[in-house]
Amino acid sequence: MVSGGNASSLPLVGGASEPTIRELSRPGRRSSKYPKLDVPEVEINHPAIKNEKAPLPEVSEHDLVMHYSRLAHRNFAADLGFYPLGSCTMKYNPRFADYIASLDTYSTTHPATPSKFTQGSLEVLHILEQYLTEITGMDFASFQPPAGASGELTGLLIIKKFLNKKNLPNKRDIIVPDSAHGTNPASAKMAGFNVVEVATDERGMVNIENLRSLVNENTAGLMLTNPNTGGLFEEEILTISEIIHSVGGLLYYDGANLNAIVGVCRPGDMGFDIVHSNLHKTFATPHGGGGPGSGPVAVKGYLKEYLPGPIVQKDNDTFNWYTPKYSIGRMHGYHGNFLVALRALVYMKLLGKEGLDTLGSYAVLNARYLSSKVSNYLPLAFKEPCMHEFVATVKYLKKSHKIKAYDVGKALLDKGFHSPTIYFPLIVEEALMFEPTETQTVETLDDLAENIKLIIEELTAPGVNLNDYPKNLPIGRPNELIPAKHLTVHWGDFELLEFTE
Amino acid sequence: MFVPHSQLDLNVIFEELNISSLEDLFNHIPDELLIMDGLNVEDSLSELEAAKYFEEIGSKNSSNLICFAGGGHYDVYLPPTVKSLTMRPEFMTSYTPYQAEISQGILQVLFEFQSLVCDITEMELANASLYDGATSVAEAISVAINKTKRDNIIISSGFNPNTKEVVNTLIDTTKFNINYIELSNYLFPDDYEFNEDDAAFVVAFPHYEGSAQDLTELVKKAQSKGVITICYVDPSMLGVLKTPGSMGFDIVVAEGQSIGSTLSFGGPTVGWFATKKSLARLVPGRIIGETIDSNHKKAYVMTLRAREQDIRREKASSNICTNQTLNAIGSAIHLSWMGPEGIFQVGYQAIQKASYMKKELKEKGFIIMNESSSLREFLVQTKQPAAKIISKMGAKGFLAGIQYSDNQLLIALTEKRTKDEIDLYVDTFSEVNNG
Repeated sequence: MVSGGNASSLPLVGGASEPTIRELSRPGRRSSKYPKLDVPEVEINHPAIKNEKAPLPEVSEHDLVMHYSRLAHRNFAADLGFYPLGSCTMKYNPRFADYIASLDTYSTTHPATPSKFTQGSLEVLHILEQYLTEITGMDFASFQPPAGASGELTGLLIIKKFLNKKNLPNKRDIIVPDSAHGTNPASAKMAGFNVVEVATDERGMVNIENLRSLVNENTAGLMLTNPNTGGLFEEEILTISEIIHSVGGLLYYDGANLNAIVGVCRPGDMGFDIVHSNLHKTFATPHGGGGPGSGPVAVKGYLKEYLPGPIVQKDNDTFNWYTPKYSIGRMHGYHGNFLVALRALVYMKLLGKEGLDTLGSYAVLNARYLSSKVSNYLPLAFKEPCMHEFVATVKYLKKSHKIKAYDVGKALLDKGFHSPTIYFPLIVEEALMFEPTETQTVETLDDLAENIKLIIEELTAPGVNLNDYPKNLPIGRPNELIPAKHLTVHWGDFELLEFTE
Repeated sequence: MFVPHSQLDLNVIFEELNISSLEDLFNHIPDELLIMDGLNVEDSLSELEAAKYFEEIGSKNSSNLICFAGGGHYDVYLPPTVKSLTMRPEFMTSYTPYQAEISQGILQVLFEFQSLVCDITEMELANASLYDGATSVAEAISVAINKTKRDNIIISSGFNPNTKEVVNTLIDTTKFNINYIELSNYLFPDDYEFNEDDAAFVVAFPHYEGSAQDLTELVKKAQSKGVITICYVDPSMLGVLKTPGSMGFDIVVAEGQSIGSTLSFGGPTVGWFATKKSLARLVPGRIIGETIDSNHKKAYVMTLRAREQDIRREKASSNICTNQTLNAIGSAIHLSWMGPEGIFQVGYQAIQKASYMKKELKEKGFIIMNESSSLREFLVQTKQPAAKIISKMGAKGFLAGIQYSDNQLLIALTEKRTKDEIDLYVDTFSEVNNG
């Protein structure tokens, strides 16, 4: 029986495949209609113009609407069920924020409109900057970065420019924990730094001795998320800060896990110089199936002039665009993902002081509760109390029954839950990483734990073929080798394949 | 707010955890780090109050300006059908489709997006989106650098200045030379000669200034020196423009706002990225592939994952993780809604309306800088400082265009602009220039 924390009626069912929009196309059908040309028509002879029409599908509007609605029914979503995805903060996204973001006054403005005519939108960014810097303990922010990874790159480019300006071009090492998100080393590499990995100790925190041994005059900075990717608060953060700062390095806060500490403590007070926030995580903007996000970067006052610009500046009662003096340059064609930023501000205003003061506490409360329940059935990777997420391991089940984290994740899908994050952090064998967020009820958390118990019973029973899971969804396990080997990435590609196997 | 727990729920949780208050959760955090009196922010608003609050701030925007600005973002008609399908909560509130079995909806729409982008650009492989047009140009240049191992970038100066700034930020200028080639009479010089140490030839089609040219011969010349050719195309013009693929380009990128997204003050929009299969393993971002499941049923999955940051870490083809999926979904649905005839109308009417407007402006004595080579967008000489004209036109209800230089304005037309709007614009423009 499917439960999924009251999600028993999920519309995700088996049945035949949905054809592609191209397969639904028939010559001469159409959805669109445009007004008749109302200016005198002239002959156009231009070397850049073609004669033939674009090969797009030809479908009626009803067919189009049915097709994409049926596809929507083949998808899990936060509005349908529970995503216990670690490091992703899949909380409820208030509908009201979408309503505000769809108001014409915000959504239909051309980005090149002068600030004189967009005072309202600039004010939104100004107020959001105040909220964000108060929450993170920083001083100034730029909303240019359109996502978290872009925010990371921004932070690293700020570090690079700041150190170059101080004539310290030899500082080329960025230290990254071995438990870090993949974007950390990727961003550091992109910014032209050497990536140096610091180990995690047996408690699950940065190994201070190892860190000391890695830090020297070449250290440019450290990228860290706190709580870390094991869901643990780095209790030695002030020591870490001192170690990095003592050699003139900077401390970068990866805001992926900010939800754990909103209203509890602040990266700025821990010694971080630069912080990026994922508005699509902590501040409840919809994840959109993979994006858009928004990754604003906030800095301490001494780094303001390095921010990507332009940023909003208030002069008397007017809001203006200001390009910081030593700005690293633009990270986005215009002002970042403005409508995402707007949604985040709406969320903050709805929460207000009482909601923001307790946001991190409730996120941690739910994670602590779920970890307590799950630990009855699966060992946790670390003994320390978790913050907003925790890591369990199935390494013993792998030894005894060849059950991998992957299999538990797939079996959970059948039960109406999204899988937790699997195989992350990389330092934990067969890791399952759970992040319930503050918006799930006790029953749902109980139900997830209960289903983990059921799954373990089910999968360890004799004669089970793990590859059969999931069983009741639109598809079973997909063959991942075919597209990687044959590059079936366009709708003409697959039918051309001749399978010999 | 949005926390579901009643006091009864809290009792259950507190008992399970053996705590008596929320503060007890944080005994392990050093005291000096804990926030003592809470955050310095205002009290919460109800939805009714918040609606008023944001409507009032919004009213400080001049939101109903009739849009004659372009530069990459265009006021193309976006039908409610496309908007409402894109905003279906199953798309909008879902996570990245790592779990294919419960993500076939998103995966198939993205696969259709990739296929549609390939079809209208005549390329072989598209990714599932990048942040925007500007960052897509920079990502394409990175691919060219990685492919050729050369360090010279040849890029047309005919790009939105913001795009050039993004390129200058994202490409390490201490390692690579970015050479901006001046346009000659608003076109890329046909006699330009490439070198064996050039990694990329990057050009906009049409150029930022609105002029366009057949780039086939330049592409051939560049490729004969082993240069990767990159086309930044205006996607809403692809119903009438030659395809970048037919001109031979290796990589096509675009600012996809005009297909499926509102103007949004510039974001979120979507970056398109399409290329040839030979470059597949250098492509940044997510790619969706078609396959079969264990029962031979059609299925879609994220593929070529070994390029991505969560697996390759510092050796990844890009650091991109979160992309602009929802806007890519919008692009796919909008393209399907337009169909071959619709996207033709969008491009053709924009060009016709621009022709009409150029003629009207000339009759009022204005000089069009690039009359014959331009299509939907063109440069006009102003008689007073362009910034002043934009300001005065704004007061009269028009977004007049984008300031190109002290005395030149970049004006863009879309199929949405009516003859009446154009006539009124031309009259008003004449008035404020001569007044």
